[in-house]
Amino acid sequence: MSPVSKLDEQAALVMPDRGRAALNALVTGLACIAAALLVHFVVGSMVGPFVTRIMLDAGVMIILAVSLNIVNGFTGQFSIGHAGFMAVGAYVAAGITYYSSLALFGSYQAQTGLISVGSLIFAASALVGGLAAAGAGWVVGLPSLRLRGDYLAIVTLGFGEIVRVLLQQSNPQLFSWDETRAASLKELVPPPLGGAQGFQSIPTYTSLFWVALFVAITLVFCFRLKRSSEGRAMLSIREDEIAAQAMGVNITNLKVRAFMFASFFAGVGGALYAHQLGTALRPTDAGFARSFEILIAVVLGGLGSISGAALAAVLLTVASALMIELGPWRMVLYALALILIMIFRPGGLFGVKEAWEVFGGLWRRKAVAR
Amino acid sequence: MSRPILDIEKIAIAFGGLKAVQDFTLRLPTGGLYGLIGPNGAGKTTVFNLLTGVYTPQAGTIAVDGTRVEGTRPHEIAAQGLSRTFQNIRLFGLLSVVDNVMLGCHVRGRHGLAGTILHSPRHVAQERAMRRRAMELLSLFDLASAAGEQAKNLSYGDQRRVEICRALATEPKVLLLDEPAAGMNPQEKKELQALIRSLRDRFGVSILLIEHDMGVVMDICERITVLDYGETIAEGTPTEIQRNPKVIEAYLGTEAA
Ligand SMILES: Nc1ncnc2c1ncn2[C@@H]1O[C@H](COP(=O)(O)OP(=O)(O)OP(=O)(O)O)[C@@H](O)[C@H]1O
Ligand SMILES: [Mg+2]
Repeated sequence: MSPVSKLDEQAALVMPDRGRAALNALVTGLACIAAALLVHFVVGSMVGPFVTRIMLDAGVMIILAVSLNIVNGFTGQFSIGHAGFMAVGAYVAAGITYYSSLALFGSYQAQTGLISVGSLIFAASALVGGLAAAGAGWVVGLPSLRLRGDYLAIVTLGFGEIVRVLLQQSNPQLFSWDETRAASLKELVPPPLGGAQGFQSIPTYTSLFWVALFVAITLVFCFRLKRSSEGRAMLSIREDEIAAQAMGVNITNLKVRAFMFASFFAGVGGALYAHQLGTALRPTDAGFARSFEILIAVVLGGLGSISGAALAAVLLTVASALMIELGPWRMVLYALALILIMIFRPGGLFGVKEAWEVFGGLWRRKAVAR
Repeated sequence: MSRPILDIEKIAIAFGGLKAVQDFTLRLPTGGLYGLIGPNGAGKTTVFNLLTGVYTPQAGTIAVDGTRVEGTRPHEIAAQGLSRTFQNIRLFGLLSVVDNVMLGCHVRGRHGLAGTILHSPRHVAQERAMRRRAMELLSLFDLASAAGEQAKNLSYGDQRRVEICRALATEPKVLLLDEPAAGMNPQEKKELQALIRSLRDRFGVSILLIEHDMGVVMDICERITVLDYGETIAEGTPTEIQRNPKVIEAYLGTEAA
């Protein structure tokens, strides 16, 4: 028998009862749903289609940036292929909803109403897309055990490119259930996801409700992770791998886990993106341009800061909506912004801290000065 | 004699042609406080790196409380009960002092994703217990008031003591201290000496200490091993070591050079 550890001994003294914990979980879940309903019905009714569109885009961007922050911010690895995971989730989820809509409803049109069979299939497909992306994250995370810094960046970049090329090789999209049923094996393998033409007519289930709900879930997940023992262990890897290992942190395991968590949410974000009005998925969605945008949000917000990444995601989305006429010049501005951050505020807006820690600190310092 | 808590048998490593450590043998009894000394570059830190799995020994065996650990990964060795501090302090600079010490508790915790995200009772209790334990340790070192500071903002001496706290938080059987008095003033050194002695009594931890300050080593260590150019040139009580001609020569030799 192993001796009782000091930690176990003390934990036994402060164990909260099950009822309270269950209540806490329930309240948190309901709060997420309530917030999503509020955004959907109250805020949604006050704004026009242009602002709604920006809110949807911003929500998806928050999910992407906050999740990439788990890898680049918490564990201090450098992934520049986040869009690859996003594309995996987007294509998997879109494939599920599109073909199941053809089969069940005879049309790719989304069913109306906030809660319908179609929208539940959509929610489930987002989770499946997330899981598929997490699986890809596991595969990419494995080499990251040995690689660091620039080398890992190249692997993740390569992953995005591989996804792009594989998607280009997919079969042409099928446009009716009859056509799908009649399809030969050759037309179904590789799956009919549109190839270079892109994947179109995806049912438009993405609404403020679903985006807000998944944003809330992502934020709760990330905050609780950061403030947990696992989260501290991830941050310790970023600070000093040798010391982290010496203190008993299994750094290989945690690096892979970080990759899987991040790619899961990237996949979910991709699913939400895919089901937006007017989206046609293209293999280039997996490419570097989008990965770069997500990376900038994380660096701008401060590596490790969840609220920083979320705020930067919103800022960038609004800015790019206002600069839509600039077209490709946007990328130049992004690059310029990144360089300026690196020079003038290398830690990003908030560094590793959260917004309230930064502003709380300022306030307290002023109070002391007075 | 009962089984030693740390049993090192003829471990060795060479970096290219440089034999950094050869045939190093040491038996640390439970509750022992032993010293490891030697001139600069003698291989002392390399011994610690071999023990904690930073390097894998090319020969020899290491057993912690009867369990062989050579060749296993650093975090597994920590879980077996070997913890250390670093000569060139390696705190998690951007994390708060209390988070640094709580990280030490990580290895004794149990972690599940669902529990972490859903705040299961066990998870909440464990987090509270970690914070409590970390604060207890910090109070013991008079560092409780600095708990919220980022570790990098502390003074050198305080950082060294936070490192000891963090190492103790892993609930080690054996604590390896690499030059804990370096950079401290005489007053701090005196306090540190008393503290190291009390650690053993309070935590039941056995200690192996690397230290350049002979005053500190001779005063608190029961037995001392002397390394020079990777080889063990002497082993014995402080009095024996002080009289040993080989040791005197090794130290005078480096001073003369
Ligand atoms: N990873 C490595 N690669 C090559 N040589 C190394 C490596 N680590 C240590 N050495 C060499 O091994 C020898 C012993 O170094 P070590 O750091 O163990 O000395 P030390 O006794 O701790 O010295 P000090 O008192 O200065 O801390 C030195 O010559 C050092 O240069
Ligand atoms: Mg040394």
